[in-house]
Amino acid sequence: MSEEVPPPESLTFERKHKSWRQMLEPVTEKDFKHGYYHFWALKKHIEPLDIPFAREIDPMQRDWELPPNWKEIFLQNFEDTLRKNRAFKVFMDICVRCGACADKCHYYLGTGDPKNMPVARAEIIRSIYRRYFTKAGRIFGELAGARDLTEDVIKEMYYYFYQCSLCRRCSNFCPYGIDTADIVWWGRRLLNSIGVTHRFSHISIEASARTGNHLGLYPLGIAEALESVAEDVYDVTGVVVDVPVNKKGAEILFVAPSADYFATPHWFACMSYLMLFHEIGLDYTWSTYASEGGNFGTFQAYELAQKLNHKVYEEAKHLGVKWIIGGECGHMWRDKHQFMDTMSGPADFLEDPVSPITGTYFENAADTKMVHICEFVADLIRHNKIKLDKSRNDHWKVTFHDSCNPSRGVGLLEEPRFVIKSCCNYFYEMPEHTIRDKTYCCGSGGGLLTEEIMELRMRGGMPRAMAAKFVHEKYGVNMMANICAIDKAAFPALMEYWKLPVEICGIDELLGNALIMKGEKERETDLRGTPYRRED
Amino acid sequence: MINPFLEIVVPYAAFAIFIVGVLYRFVSWANSAVPLKIPTTSGQAGTLPFIKRSFYDRIDSPYNKWEVALRMLAEVFLFRSLFKNTRYYQSRHEHRDTRWLWGFAILFHWSFLIVLIRHLRFFIEPVPEPFIYVTELIALKIWVPTIYITGITSLIGLGYLFLRRLFSGNERTISLPSDYLALILLISVVVTGLVMRYIYKIPLAPVKELALSLIVFQPVAVDVHWLFILHLTLVSITIAYFPFSKMMHAGGVLFSPTRNMPNDNRKRRHVNPLNPPYHGITREEYNEMYKDQLEEIAERDYNFRPEV
Repeated sequence: MSEEVPPPESLTFERKHKSWRQMLEPVTEKDFKHGYYHFWALKKHIEPLDIPFAREIDPMQRDWELPPNWKEIFLQNFEDTLRKNRAFKVFMDICVRCGACADKCHYYLGTGDPKNMPVARAEIIRSIYRRYFTKAGRIFGELAGARDLTEDVIKEMYYYFYQCSLCRRCSNFCPYGIDTADIVWWGRRLLNSIGVTHRFSHISIEASARTGNHLGLYPLGIAEALESVAEDVYDVTGVVVDVPVNKKGAEILFVAPSADYFATPHWFACMSYLMLFHEIGLDYTWSTYASEGGNFGTFQAYELAQKLNHKVYEEAKHLGVKWIIGGECGHMWRDKHQFMDTMSGPADFLEDPVSPITGTYFENAADTKMVHICEFVADLIRHNKIKLDKSRNDHWKVTFHDSCNPSRGVGLLEEPRFVIKSCCNYFYEMPEHTIRDKTYCCGSGGGLLTEEIMELRMRGGMPRAMAAKFVHEKYGVNMMANICAIDKAAFPALMEYWKLPVEICGIDELLGNALIMKGEKERETDLRGTPYRRED
Repeated sequence: MINPFLEIVVPYAAFAIFIVGVLYRFVSWANSAVPLKIPTTSGQAGTLPFIKRSFYDRIDSPYNKWEVALRMLAEVFLFRSLFKNTRYYQSRHEHRDTRWLWGFAILFHWSFLIVLIRHLRFFIEPVPEPFIYVTELIALKIWVPTIYITGITSLIGLGYLFLRRLFSGNERTISLPSDYLALILLISVVVTGLVMRYIYKIPLAPVKELALSLIVFQPVAVDVHWLFILHLTLVSITIAYFPFSKMMHAGGVLFSPTRNMPNDNRKRRHVNPLNPPYHGITREEYNEMYKDQLEEIAERDYNFRPEV
């Protein structure tokens, strides 16, 4: 935990109500707050990605060294975006500023900064749209809510577009479905065009473009990491499991976020994947070229997202698999569900996704040929193809955090709950306004999982933490399950900060705990090494 | 008062601007490409047969075009998304459903629509009996004294929408002058209408004569009450302003990709007409880059089963 973040008791959430004129004044480096602004991108990360005008500056410096014709480039790209993306154009035009979105944003609730209201975040760029692309804005200027494009406005965009985690909670409540995530995503792409961009996402995008995964692991590193996962499986269960890597002719390609074989608590979910696939005798393979399900390109630009999700299909073709299963990850599933097929498809060289164990045809993945692990597991459980001992999870009182993208970008709500209820005796829902389509972000999604903005992340995670606190106090919940790699990375810090004794797991970890394997020894601990308490 | 300019020129010009402007906006939206299918899924998606989907799931996370149609109808006529509105109470970290905005928005939009429909009687001669009967029914006419409730309620709805912009902190912050302008225009239109209807009961015959002449494009300026001229001018300003203002949300909602697209992304592929080609490392290049390591994986027969 970063020491600079003030303790929760000292945080204030006072909402400031500026006037509309003040709202049109850009927030610049003079007002940037430590713990809120991102570090600048490094040349070595963005140059290989063809992001122009790479330069290394400190966002706190006055001169941002914009290219001489930056305004022209920006407006040219703006016009181009309006032509390329109907959503962007419509969202520029139809907002009525009803304010329904205002208190839906966890960053607004956590910071009280009026520019963190989704409507205000969009107004940052909408004001530029009005000034240069509408008649009213050109004629009436400020009165029509328009303002000139200046270097200060660019600074403001940089500051606030990187205070949005693209969770789409506001879009859920907007009467016109205005999707701030779409505006911010394409807005960041606009900023990229003049070399104004942050560091965090591009480290991973560059690594993934080069090596196939966000961590930049080389093929042998991946395989050996998976081997150590299998070693841990042996230690807990006494079963030796196969770890097929780059195996040509396997039936199924399995793609998970790279954090699953690198970080905890992701690791324990990864153990479960290996155990499950071994137990049902699935003919599958991991891949080193497509060793990443996640796609940080979806936080930055269409082209960068395509750069990364292309690899999944190319690898599927290369290995000659029939179809694809994807592991637990949030934005990965927004990408796989809504983006990948359009950007890198069609996947007509693959076969229909039919479970080899149950014979179920996953009709909802008929074209993309990629099935979520929760769907696959739910189907197995439904057909009684795996044996589960719920009591092995009795030491966990579980709640489920709907990760933003699987809930509002995929609609994956019931499958995870079905899996959890099949694996656990104690399951409690958080308050209804904080789950399912109304779920709160962990505060660190959308490219915000970076140390330098720790205060923003802890503040933004406040509504989720308070919901967890509620079920912790009411039911004694001590485990928050989720299906997102970023959640798993972000929540342990969040729970520690808000002083909640709640642990974090992927729901597959609960499955692994409960899964009865052929030839296993009597388990003394669960997958993460917590000893089972014995009655005697 | 006879004023050919305000009675004929202004209404025709305003109407022409309205039609051309709205069509222009629709065409310009339609001309932009739709790169991605990005429905906001607010309910359980279509999936395995044993995962049950409620009626609300079908509306909020439509799996086919019929369900999309339902979602759009619910959005346009019932303000479905606004109905879900909540309020966050910071001090006790609690959420409550808040439907005030939804209630008053519905009140205004529906009342105003019915008022507009009832205005058709000025353009039809003779007015069919069923039309009178039905519109009096839906306008909630009460007889003592004769009042059409919808006229009043549309003003109440507008009043709420106006006052919340003035008195709610968040609203004041995000409200632009143009937001007030739209409300002020609508309020003045409704007020002048109500004043004519209930306070200064102006003679209706000349009004109808003018309306009938306008609708058949044989305009004849007639002697109408000045209040009506005011009303007509305000209406003209409002509809001429409509295409350039946020009032275009009325048509824009139909174009919103988060609402008008089905959540069947993995079942039916969406094609982006401007999809760029892939730029990046291909599998062959990758094989070259990591030749040694990939060979080691091959030597282990593509299986990293741990040795125990």
